[in-house]
Amino acid sequence: MKVQVKVIGPLIYKAGFSEKDFDLDPSTTVNDLVEMIGIPAERPRIVTRNGKAVLPEDRIEDGDKIAVSPIYSGG
Amino acid sequence: MNGWTGNILRVNLSTKTHKKETFTEEFAHKWVGGRGFAVKTLYDELKPGIDPLGPENKFIVALGPISGIPAPNTGKAVVAAKSPLTGFYGDGNLGTRAAEHLRKAGYDMLIVEGKADRPTMLYIEDDKVEFLPADEVWGKGTYACNDWIYSKYGKGIGVLNIGQGGENLNRFAVVRSLEGRAGGRPGIGAVMGSKLLKAIVVKGTRPIPQADPAAMKALGSGDLKKVGQIDKQTGWSIQSTTGVLPFCNEVAGLPVRNFRKTHHPLAWQVDGERCNNARVATYGCPTCTMRCGITVHDKEGHESELDYENVALLGPNLEIFELAQMASLNYLCDEYGLDTMSAGCTLSFYADAIDHGAVDGDFKFGDAERAKELLRLAALREGKVGNLLAEGSRRMARTFGHNSEAYAMQVKGLEVAAYNCKFIPGQALSFGVAPIGAHHREAWIITFEIRHTTRESYGPEKAAKVIELQRIRGGLFEFIVSCRFPWIENGWPLENYPKYFNVVTGLNWNLDDMWRVGDRIYSMIKLHFLREFPQADREDDYPPRIWFDPSNADTEGPIAGKYLDLEKYDGMLQHYYDQRGYDRRGIPTKATLHALGLDDEAAAVRPYADLTD
Repeated sequence: MKVQVKVIGPLIYKAGFSEKDFDLDPSTTVNDLVEMIGIPAERPRIVTRNGKAVLPEDRIEDGDKIAVSPIYSGG
Repeated sequence: MNGWTGNILRVNLSTKTHKKETFTEEFAHKWVGGRGFAVKTLYDELKPGIDPLGPENKFIVALGPISGIPAPNTGKAVVAAKSPLTGFYGDGNLGTRAAEHLRKAGYDMLIVEGKADRPTMLYIEDDKVEFLPADEVWGKGTYACNDWIYSKYGKGIGVLNIGQGGENLNRFAVVRSLEGRAGGRPGIGAVMGSKLLKAIVVKGTRPIPQADPAAMKALGSGDLKKVGQIDKQTGWSIQSTTGVLPFCNEVAGLPVRNFRKTHHPLAWQVDGERCNNARVATYGCPTCTMRCGITVHDKEGHESELDYENVALLGPNLEIFELAQMASLNYLCDEYGLDTMSAGCTLSFYADAIDHGAVDGDFKFGDAERAKELLRLAALREGKVGNLLAEGSRRMARTFGHNSEAYAMQVKGLEVAAYNCKFIPGQALSFGVAPIGAHHREAWIITFEIRHTTRESYGPEKAAKVIELQRIRGGLFEFIVSCRFPWIENGWPLENYPKYFNVVTGLNWNLDDMWRVGDRIYSMIKLHFLREFPQADREDDYPPRIWFDPSNADTEGPIAGKYLDLEKYDGMLQHYYDQRGYDRRGIPTKATLHALGLDDEAAAVRPYADLTD
């Protein structure tokens, strides 16, 4: 399935990209994806799907727009 | 009294006199410093109803017990006065070497009274105070003024100054320092201008009294290194505050086109990655190991120091997506000494009002060149348009009529910081109850709302989170006077701050003691408000009305069809009041004030307004 992934803030320097399309296995979870793009497990982050927060165990779905962001706190 | 110098420097510009006053230990323990000192002093010394731009107003620079001590990140000062923008207590903080120098000169607070008879630079060196002519730089921008001062005294000196905005009484003029630091959003720079006070230069040479200087030096300098190391691990300062822009865009929280839109496909052109890629220099405040001032070249080749608020409000909010052009607007705000946030919201309101037929004009969203010219006119108060813009969005809306105040993006007269709460109820509450107007400094709960609650909730958990953060951000960091970024952005433990406080003062306070001071300060700002506006009501704590308008809902994206529910917002506001011990108007009750030790301050309200039991 096709998924668009956007990485935000300093996490792009961990992932090595800021936007990329992926072809993923249908059983992929949010956690699988985050691990796959090289974000360390201990790094706090918020992941959104089409602008809404998702949980680590949630399944990614075909056509999703996923964003992986550090936990911002409003400066 | 360790931790405080125990001294206030009171300067009168009308009589060219000064005196050194002392304050008591009780005052120090009750108000601690910074915002606490300023709010109490202005409450006691200003008569309600005075003209904020008249000689009766007082301009304050206030420091805290850890100001100027080598520790994370203490190079900050609070500036305060009665605000010409909002009409009641206003303040802000900024990074400046003046913080350390004022403390080393022997003062915890500077109070400036009266009005000079010519443009003046106040020079303070320990016990010496001089009133020097500043005619040579009157009419010049903050960068030229800084260079003039540096050429006389060198760069190690403490400087606070204003640009043409402050001189010409633009109501959102700020106080400036260093390469790109600014503070005092609610027009505190205009208060300096009204006194013909162009600059304050401070040199201090004495040690700051501390209970255990050797322990503090070891603790503070070690912790400064640790904060720098943590920042290297997290990478936060690579994009600094600008990193949050794509997150806001992703979750439909970015201000675009005077907040009418919440996201935009071109927003990436001014995001943190692009800002970092364009970086030509990095600046920061004194005693900082995670410097946030990403500096780029603007369209004209000036160095322009960026942060998220000015990028979003002078960029997407004006539908300007060319980084260099947005940086030009930011540079001009810094040069003229204007608040970038209020400038962005005022210009966007003007374009929106023209769009909606509330006023005739030639400014359109996306027109960067005209925006530059309008900033110049606003700073100089040149012509009808310049004078109009210099008043800020709320006064403009009241001039235009046509229900335009609904989309003047402000609360209590202070323009909204760069988070579009069209459907972020808790952050809308945070702006609504921010005591000096819609400042993001007081509380920011967007990630909490999206991650830990449902976005749709208007429940008590959001009010509780706002209060929790107000106590830290608008309380603790503003009265011990230190930058919140090591904690908020890099997770530096909050418990370190009472530790610094205790080592310098020899006291044994914990965070609960700090929250109590913060609650006292918040109540005092409310009393300032009530004394100036006896008809104060809960509607003063509502965000801009456009966020409640169904016709303003997004038509696509994550929050399509959503808007804030007025009745539910009002219910959430009541949760906030209940948890704070405020009455239905949003004013602390007598019981709350008594519990905070504010009986005398409550009594001082009585000639003007009633309090609830």
